[in-house]
Parts: sequence; C-alpha cells; structure tokens
Amino acid sequence: MREMTFKEAITETMIQEMRRDPKVIIMGEDVGDFGGLTGTTIGIIDEFDDQRVLETPISECGFVGAAVGAALAGYRPVLELGLADVSFVAMDQIVNTAAKMNYFNDGAATVSLVIRVWSGFRRSGGPQQSQSNEAMFNHVPGLKVVMPSTPYDVKGLLTASIRDNNPIIFFEPKASYPRRGEVPEDEYVIPIGEADVKREGTDVTIIALGAMVHLALEAAEKLARDGVSAEVVDPRTIRPLDVQTIVASVRKTGRAVITHEANVIGGVGGEIAAILADQAFTSLKAPIKRIGGEETPIPVSPSLESAVVPGEDDILDVVRALI
Amino acid sequence: MPEMTMAQALNEAHRIAMQEDSRVFAIGEDIGDYGGIYRVTDGLLDEFGKDRVRDTPISEAAIVGSSVGAALVGCRPILEIGFVDFVGTCWDQIINQAAKYRYLSGGKASVPLVMRMACGAGLGYGVHHSQSMEAWFTHTPGIKVVMPAFPDDAKGLLLAAVDDDDPVAFFEHKLLYTFKDTVPEGRYAVPIGKANIRREGRDLTIVCWSRAVHWALVAAEKAAVDGIECEVIDLRTLVPLDEGLIQNSVGRTNRLIVCHEACRTSGFGAEIVSRVVESSFDFLDAPPVRITAPDIPVPNSLPLEKIYLGPENELLDAVRNLTAVHSHKRQH
Amino acid sequence: MRKTKKTTKTTGDLTAPQLKKMHRQMLLIRRFEEVAFEKALAGNYANYHGAMGQEAIPVGTCFDLTPEDGTMITHRGLGVLIARGITVKDIFSGLYARAESPTRGRIPVYHMGEPKLGVLTGTSMVGSVIPLATGKALANKLDKNNSVVISFFGDGAANRGDFHEGINLAAVWGLPIVFFCENNFYAKSMPLEKSTAGGSIIKRADGYGLPSMLVDGNDVLAVYDATKQAVARAREGGGPTFIECETYRWTPHSTAGDREFARTDEELARWKAKCPVRRMEALLLESGKASQEELKALDDAVQAEVGEAIEWVEKAVDPTPEVATENVYV
Repeated sequence: MREMTFKEAITETMIQEMRRDPKVIIMGEDVGDFGGLTGTTIGIIDEFDDQRVLETPISECGFVGAAVGAALAGYRPVLELGLADVSFVAMDQIVNTAAKMNYFNDGAATVSLVIRVWSGFRRSGGPQQSQSNEAMFNHVPGLKVVMPSTPYDVKGLLTASIRDNNPIIFFEPKASYPRRGEVPEDEYVIPIGEADVKREGTDVTIIALGAMVHLALEAAEKLARDGVSAEVVDPRTIRPLDVQTIVASVRKTGRAVITHEANVIGGVGGEIAAILADQAFTSLKAPIKRIGGEETPIPVSPSLESAVVPGEDDILDVVRALI
Repeated sequence: MPEMTMAQALNEAHRIAMQEDSRVFAIGEDIGDYGGIYRVTDGLLDEFGKDRVRDTPISEAAIVGSSVGAALVGCRPILEIGFVDFVGTCWDQIINQAAKYRYLSGGKASVPLVMRMACGAGLGYGVHHSQSMEAWFTHTPGIKVVMPAFPDDAKGLLLAAVDDDDPVAFFEHKLLYTFKDTVPEGRYAVPIGKANIRREGRDLTIVCWSRAVHWALVAAEKAAVDGIECEVIDLRTLVPLDEGLIQNSVGRTNRLIVCHEACRTSGFGAEIVSRVVESSFDFLDAPPVRITAPDIPVPNSLPLEKIYLGPENELLDAVRNLTAVHSHKRQH
Repeated sequence: MRKTKKTTKTTGDLTAPQLKKMHRQMLLIRRFEEVAFEKALAGNYANYHGAMGQEAIPVGTCFDLTPEDGTMITHRGLGVLIARGITVKDIFSGLYARAESPTRGRIPVYHMGEPKLGVLTGTSMVGSVIPLATGKALANKLDKNNSVVISFFGDGAANRGDFHEGINLAAVWGLPIVFFCENNFYAKSMPLEKSTAGGSIIKRADGYGLPSMLVDGNDVLAVYDATKQAVARAREGGGPTFIECETYRWTPHSTAGDREFARTDEELARWKAKCPVRRMEALLLESGKASQEELKALDDAVQAEVGEAIEWVEKAVDPTPEVATENVYV
C-alpha cells in the first residue's frame, strides 16, 4: 500500500469528498491558490472553483457563523479555521451557534460542519500558536471533537466527519503533519467515537491524544526492552469518547497513564481519569497519572519549550514509577 | 453583624475597593446609570463619577481588551459580563491576552483585572443565558478562578481579587444574588486559594462550589437524619485549588462526591476527581462520584430546566448510595 | 447630527385591501405585544423583550416576502414571526414553553425556526445573528435561487464585532441579503449617543460600499417601500442593502426584573404620538378606505384571536422530561 503524510491524507480526503458530494465546500483564509495556512488546500481550487473553495477575509466570527448558516441550508462546509489558538476568536459562534443549532432546529435542519484546527506544539510556535484546547470543546454539548494521530486515521475520520450532520471540531496536531503511514487509495470511513488500540500490552495502559500517540508508542517500545508491556490506546475521538475500549483496557492492565499536549489542569486527561476512577476503580493497582503541558504559556526558545511540553521521557518516567 | 444579599455584599466590596484605591474602576454594560442588571454596581456612578464607573456599548471584546490594556499600565479594572454565556465573544482577549501578558512581558507587567461574570440556570432564561463555563477558565494557565457561594465570601473574595495582581475570573450565580446572610462590616479579605469546610462530617466528603454548596448543605441536613454525616467543602476558589484541604478530608472520610451545576463532561469535577485519585488513591474506599448537570444545552421551559438541574435532587441519593456501599476495596 | 435624508412614502401603488391587511397585521402585533408584556409581568414566563411601538417594521418588511425568503430576528420583535405567518397561539405556546409549541419548550421562542415560512433559527448573542444570516444568503447564492434574507438587529448590535464581520463578508461576496437595523435608540439601557461613535449607524454602511436607506420606522409604507427596493436589488444579484429604521420601544428592555431605563416622559410621549398603528388608522379613515365601525370590528376580532390563544395556552400542558435531551446530536 502506498504511504503518505498526515498532511497529504487531509488534502486527499477533501478532494475525494468534494468530488463525491457537490454540497461539500471549503472555506477559510487563503484557502485558494495559497493553499491555506496549513498548505492542505493547495491545488483544490484548480479542480473546483471559487464557488466551492471560498476564501474569506480575516473574520473568524463572520465566517464561522456564515458556515453554520450555510450548513443549515444544506451545505457541508469544511472550514479551515487555522491555529487552534485562533478558535478563541470565534468561540461564541462555535459554542453558542454551531454547537446548539441542532438542538434549536430540533431535527428540521442540521449543522453539517467541520471546523479544522491546527493544534499543539511546533518548534518555537510560542504562547499564542501552540495551544490545544480540545478540553474546552469537550465541555460543550452538541459538538463532536475528533483528534486523529496517523495518516490512516485522519483520512478515515475526516471522511466520517464531513459526512456527519453535527458540528465537529477536527484537531490536526502540528507534530502529526509530517508523519508518514499507509493510506488506502479508496475512500473509507472510520466511525467517529471509536478508539484504536495501537499497541497491545498487559502491564499498563497509556491513553494518548494526537501527537502524543507517537511518543507513547516509542516509549512503549523502550519499555518492552525493560520487560514492561504497555498497551497504547488512541481515543481518536474525544467526544463522544469510546469509554468501553478505554475502560476495558484499564481493567485488563490495572494501570492508567493519560497523556496529551494540552496542560494538565482542566485537560481531557481529567475527564478520562474521572471516568476510569468510576468504571475501573476496583481494577486499579495504582493511581491514575496524567501527563501534559506545564501550567504555563508555551515559551518560544526551543530549550524552554522542551522543558514545558510533555515528551517521551516524561512518559517513561511516569510509567516506570507506576510499575 | 448586618445581613445583606450577595448583590449588596458585592456592591460594598466595590465601594471599599474604589474608595481606597483611585486606580480601581468598574466597567461593563448597563452598570452606570442603570446600576447593573443585578444591581451590583447600584449607586456607584453617583459616588465615583463616570470616569470610574464606565458604561460601554455591546462590545465585549473591546471591554475586555481595553481593560487588559488599562490593567497593564497600573489600573485595576473590575469588569462585569452580565451572562457568562457571552464570554465567547471576548474569549481571545481573555485567553490570549489577559492570561498571558505577565508571561509575555517576562514578568515586567501584570494584569490586575477582575472579570465578574454571572452564571447559572434556574430562572427559565434559556440556553444562552444560563450556562456555567468555569471549567474553560480553569484550563487556562495565568487566570485564577473564584466562585463564592455566600455573601460574606463574595465580599471578601472580591476585595482579594481586586488586590491580586493577576487576572481573576469571578463567577456569581444568578440565583444567589438575592441570597441574604450575615456579612462582616468594613474591609476584610477572604484569601484566594483557600477552601472552606462549611459542614464537618466523618462519613463522606462533598466538594462543591457556588450554588451547589447550597444543594449540598440541604442534602447533608437530610442525610444527617439518617445518621450520615457529610463533610461539605465549599471550594470558593477553583484555581489555585486547595488540594491539601480536600486530601485531608478524603483521608478521613474515604469517600468523595463532587457536585457542580455545569455539564459533566470536562467540567471541573473531572479535575478534582483526577487529583484526588492521584494523591489519595489509597484512602478511597469507593469510586469518587460526580453529580452534575447532564450534557445538554439548558432548556427553556421550567420543567425541562429541572432536568438540567438534576444534580440538586440527585445529590441525596448519591450520598446514601455511597455510604451504603461498604467498601469497594480493590483486589490488589 | 443625522444628515441622511429619510424616506417616507404615500399610499402610492397599494390597494385598499392591501393597506387594510397591513393594518390588521400591525394591530394583531400590537394586541399581542400588550398581552405578552402583561403575562410576563404576571410571572407566567421568565422574560419578555417587548417591541410595542415598533409594529410597522415587521409588517412593512415581510409583506411581499415569499416563504423561500428568510428572516432572522434576535430576541425582540416577535412581530416578524407573526408577519411571516406563525400564529399568535403558537407564539404564546412558545413563550409559555408548552409541549405543543413549535420549540417544544426547549428554546426561547424568539429563536424558533420554521422552514416552511422562511423563519430562520437565530441565536441570543446580540450581533451574532448577522454572520448566521449571511451564511443563509451565501447558500442562496451558491444554490443560485432567487431568495433573499433579511437580517434584523438593533442599534446595540452595531457595536459588536460580528456586525462588522458579517456585513463586510456579505458585501465582499455580493450576497442577497438586507441588513435591517431597528434603531430604537437604546441598547438595553444605554442610549445611542453614548454607545455609538460617529452618532450614526447608517454611515457605517458607506464603509462597506453598500447602498443604504434611512427610514421612518413608524411609517409602514416607508418601511415597505425601502424593503421592496432592497429585496429587488438582492434578487437581481445587486448584493446587500443596509436599511436603518428609526423607531422606539414603549417598554423596558425586558420584563425580567428590569427597572425602567432613563428616559423622559416627554420622549416617550413624543414617540407614542408617532404610533404606527394609529397612523395607518388615520390614513385609512381619511382616505375613506375604511370606516370607524370596520376598524372597531377588526380590533375586536384581533383581540378575540389573542384572547383565544391565551385561553388555550393557559390550559396547555408542559413538556415531559425526555424532550429535554433530544436532538443534542443528530
């Protein structure tokens, strides 16, 4: 099977879905010739036109609201919002409009909208370009929150998201963009709400989000050489969470470590830990541990950045202390 | 000791802060001439004038942004957002600006801003006037999060928040504005970061804040009739969390319920449960329980709104169930 | 100083039946507003944002719209819903949040949508409806249908960021939309001159390169005429128009514990003298198109309609619990 990057898989998915369904449109800043902030829409406007690839001014509230309005009228916008940090600018439109319009319309119209955000760390991104705010969206009924980690997963999940009639915040971790992996050429769907056990193990469950999945797998490899068998679970969808898979894993191993790029306090790790404490309590051999960013804005200097962002070593240290 | 409503207690705190420090000013929609939709700023315009009690257009991003700017150069604004539901319109200013400027300035500047926001359901106001969003703020390094449940705490915490050099998100539950209780006269501060045991008990710990504290006290009263003694911890501050007090309590009771009004998933209850599991794992006899609103928008009709406010009635059953379980001791 | 010339209109090309229909609609909205306000004050529901005195706007704007044309309101001006064909009974049912209401008691009635009548679902954040309405107009343009959207908002909304973004976006894309500002000179309690730099909302339209009209919002024929021009322009692909209507509400911002905002009795009296309903009545009588008896009978019928609606709604049942959790996701 051919290999491609996470980034390339995103582009391929959008093109496939736009060919399949004329209601799928792309919106965002510089998404035309420039190819978008992320470069993922390069070339798409050449195949389609500016009535399907709509470039917007710098008006996040304006175009998020407009995307919701167009979705309710039957379109399926795939909106490139840019950095996750920028989603804050349009928070009202996302949380009060997009998230609630299905409830308001009570089945009469639907918000078939995907909002793509570029999240997490990238060398020297700095405090306002490195955030990963999935926990905030996780708190909002009406939104789905998806965070794939591999090229295979991103294509299947983006396809599913575009076909879903709910507003979906689709997190694309920056660190995942260059990752290569096998991706089938044909279209396929990975159901939203389905986790993936990326590596089986028996001694500890590492639940990892997004970019941390790869670090968790690398850590698991090293742990294996020390005789520690780590199971790595990638939720892939944060909301709705695949509680069954995660709980089953922790019931099996008895130990849970949750890791994400976002800072720990109030992060998704807390929600997962609370669920595990509720449903896997009697199986736990040790406290549940969370690994995330430090409680600080993200510094620019690479040496400072690496002190603040979670890394493979953090996972190794925590797991070893647990065993 | 005088009795007053929470709105009056907050009003007094404004007065004291503004009388003592000319850099303190109030800003928000309808706070001046109108005195604020909850009357918290009643009379302040007459006493302090329009430079220090500033009515604004409906421009939340500008209100927050300009308050941050003023705070950076030494002012101490107290801004009012009438419904926390509106906070999405100024969220960038709060998260990317207010929370980060101390860091971005390398410590040379700080943002001594108090953001007062009214939250909560129970009046049938509907989906966009009833939410609780404190969890978002707790996830943002650089912001302190305060939620008083009683008038005396409200006054003391607001004074402490104004004195604090960092941005404070200060949440007031709409239904508590008219709650009357004793409030000490004059100036006093309730320290930010310190929880308060509102009721002592040996059988289980209920950690709660804001309106849920009142629910917990009612449930504790009823449970006591059955011989169950609940320890009710009123957090008062969510961030920084008074973890020591909670650990101490769970260490004695071995059972934990966290109760809050906000939606369950990724509500602050998750953070508390996680911390307790992490720090007090060996002391827990049973799984910690979260009693919260369900994950739905706040419905409009009063009978439907009660579904959202389910935690109020579910709490007593949760207390009984948790104590009925002898022990869920783990097999290891 | 407001220098833009205001448009007014005479009866012109409207027939007697059409004028009487306009009058009936305004009267129905007026009687509805009176009862809605009173029932809110009596505690039957949490809140009501009255628009008494602003009846010319919903009637004039919606008169010639087709069901494919969309209207989006914020929290005030339920008259638009009535003008689009939602019954007074359904609106009261929504206010009382009953099981049988169009909203099933789940959301405030002012946000209700009714696709068959072109009523678009809105959102509460003042100003945030504007991009949402822009989105519907975008869909109209992409669909290449002939339909138009009217986005209603107040003077308060003109100072929100979403106002700027939504209008600019529609202007840059040439969308089939009418931006309709009901300027009643007070946001909640804050008067226009304290909130709005430049003292004029309509001048902002110049910044977007949009044609604009300043209209006497209490003259239903002027409102009708301005809307007709704007809608025609939008249908023909001429893009958005900005209409500002000067009007006034006789009631406070809302009934939820609201004190009266600071205004003089003289100001209120001055605007009551411009009552849109009375003006149309006078026009009909003076032109001989209706008699006093006819108008009285009409008023009786309208009041009876409102009365029947209230009688029904006061006995109607509340929704059952499971309704609260449905359709959070689809």
